[in-house]
Amino acid sequence: MKLRMVGCHHRHMSVAVRERLAFNNNQAEAALVSWRDAYPDTEAVLLSTCNRVELYAAVEGQHLPPCSKSLAAHLASFHQVPIDELQPSLVTLEDEEVVRHLFRVAASLDSMVVGEPQILAQVKKAYDLARGIGSTGPLTHQFFQAALRTARRVAGETPLHRHRVSIPSIAIADFASRIFERFDDKMVLVVGAGEMAEETLRYLVDAGTQNLQIANRNLPRARLLAEKWHGTPVAWDHLYERLVEADVVISTTGADQPIFTLEAYRRHVAPRRHQRPLFILDLAVPRDFEPAIGDYLGTYLYSIDDLANTCDQNRQARQTALPAAEKIVSQETLKFLAEARHRTTVPVVAELQDGFRRTKQEELTRLFRKVPDLDDRDRQEIERFADRLIAKLLHPPLESLRDVSRHGSPRQLVEALRRLFQLKE
Amino acid sequence: MAVGTILSWGVGSRRGMTDVVLVCTLMSSGVNIFCFTACYFVAWMLELAGLKARYGWHRLVMLAFAGAGLAAQTWYLIDRVSQAPATPLATTFDWCLLAAWVLAIVYLGLVFYSPGTSIGLFLLPLILLLVGAAQFASQVPLAARQASQFWGVVHGVTLLLGTVTVCLGFLSGLMYLIQSHRLRKALPPVVSFRLPSLEWLHWINSRALRWSALTMAAGLLSGVILTHMKHPTDTSYRLWTDPVVLSLAAMLAWLITAEIFRLVYPAARQGRKVAYLTLAAFVFLVFMLFSITMLDTVHGRKGHANELTACPMEVSV
Repeated sequence: MKLRMVGCHHRHMSVAVRERLAFNNNQAEAALVSWRDAYPDTEAVLLSTCNRVELYAAVEGQHLPPCSKSLAAHLASFHQVPIDELQPSLVTLEDEEVVRHLFRVAASLDSMVVGEPQILAQVKKAYDLARGIGSTGPLTHQFFQAALRTARRVAGETPLHRHRVSIPSIAIADFASRIFERFDDKMVLVVGAGEMAEETLRYLVDAGTQNLQIANRNLPRARLLAEKWHGTPVAWDHLYERLVEADVVISTTGADQPIFTLEAYRRHVAPRRHQRPLFILDLAVPRDFEPAIGDYLGTYLYSIDDLANTCDQNRQARQTALPAAEKIVSQETLKFLAEARHRTTVPVVAELQDGFRRTKQEELTRLFRKVPDLDDRDRQEIERFADRLIAKLLHPPLESLRDVSRHGSPRQLVEALRRLFQLKE
Repeated sequence: MAVGTILSWGVGSRRGMTDVVLVCTLMSSGVNIFCFTACYFVAWMLELAGLKARYGWHRLVMLAFAGAGLAAQTWYLIDRVSQAPATPLATTFDWCLLAAWVLAIVYLGLVFYSPGTSIGLFLLPLILLLVGAAQFASQVPLAARQASQFWGVVHGVTLLLGTVTVCLGFLSGLMYLIQSHRLRKALPPVVSFRLPSLEWLHWINSRALRWSALTMAAGLLSGVILTHMKHPTDTSYRLWTDPVVLSLAAMLAWLITAEIFRLVYPAARQGRKVAYLTLAAFVFLVFMLFSITMLDTVHGRKGHANELTACPMEVSV
């Protein structure tokens, strides 16, 4: 098997160029269809995420894949980007490098945020899309299956993915979900608007939240955000009433004074909540909630600083998990390459076995003709003896083939076997 | 000694049985208490070891030991039933083992329902505690000579369910307080020490309180009926001087008060207060178990001493 990859990723190319090269689903389909038409003998998969655009090509051992210039030209021409502009930033990898690279990508070791879980689904989706078009084959199937297996091993055997590193993901997955078992019956109140609040909302919606209430001093802005997230806009005057009903609050206003004071909370909210659990994520700086509000029973108040500590701890924990993850990638790379090399010996092994079987059959026919008095039981015993003999004679050369495949190309040994046993090419 | 009879080794005075009695019971099937106690103990040790490090095989081995323990205990209890067909599992010894058995089922159920949580850290010691308590409990059937087997069964089953629900309420309350404390301190979750969510714990906790009140009330009521049937004219036995009855009545009073408190005062319906209520209920339960296993009462050792001769199925060696 010959593998080649051409592409760009976040370490070598700016986001401005990556954006120009990015493929959405329809574009990826069109690019792969034109690829299949141009190179019908080459299997291809296109992986396009916000951090990378990579085209993987694979061919059978006897042939050579299209050169890296052809691959790059295919990527560039689709978006009509001059190839000279891209060439200096493009990365080209071959064979073992390609295997190691894809395994690292799938395991999220090559991501901008190491350990982020989305990449595994993106790799799978890229492969499924290529398979749907028919640009894949047995080679890319084995290759991508091995990559997904590696990613699952890394996720299962190391704590890399367990440690979240973004404030919104930590807030929801590590804190809110320890308070609430489910989110589909909870009311979420968003106060203000901001990028981080929206990201938190995304996590909450993924967790099943349906009842979203969005409050803003500027009601049209609240309506806009509510429309985007299928929520309900709330007038600023009704803020405290909604706070009494809410289960989760995300606050991210730009106010320079706390919006929720202890006195107001004590007077308007606490007595009506009856200590019902309330998760408050105060993302604003300066804070929207007076910290003493968190002392109320049933109120769990978190500021950015509270979660930032967890973020730092998780980042460090990820770093400590990296060597174990890299070790798994190395193991899986070696295993995949050994299996791929061993698969190239299959034709010669089959031919060898066929030759031995033919000889056995000829000799048995001759023997049974010469000794016609043998009964069925004796004949079966002799046949079994011959089978055992063949298996034992073939065992050392086959084992040697396997051994050689583990550490390098078995081509020379295959050649030697062909010459020794006079096998056809 | 016929096959299938129970062998008991007693250490201490025979008559009063005031000293610690080490009972090692070997059933005809070859399964003894040590088998399942050891299994539960190893499962608990694995839970504790998991706090330090967890491997891929960890959960599987833990489940295997807990499952083996449950299977062995089930076998053991079935054997006990076959030994005493008239009043199956009616001794305080069996009662403690049965409560431990139900909790073991709950444990395995929760492990599958909520994998990855550290429920076993809390449940397994309680199971071991109940098995341990069984060692000090009487092996004489409480209902052996009673007029109504029906009320005996009702009494035993309701108190058994009450014990299990109080235990579950206690454990969920304990876990609630720990989880709440960790959240208040903004401590990140630890993979090796994962607890269920506060919402789930509160759900278990509040229901455990209600059901324990109901089952304990049924247990006490059936006990009173049973006593009147058993001792209609017996003036030597005074129900309300029995420490077991007193501790049960006190616990029931507490449970009913707690439930009324919850209904009247809305803030007491929320997690932390319910947790405290269930923790207190467990203290009463401990008193009751202590009375059953350690004190000379009709339910405890006195019952054993008085009724030993009336129980032909048991042979003291």
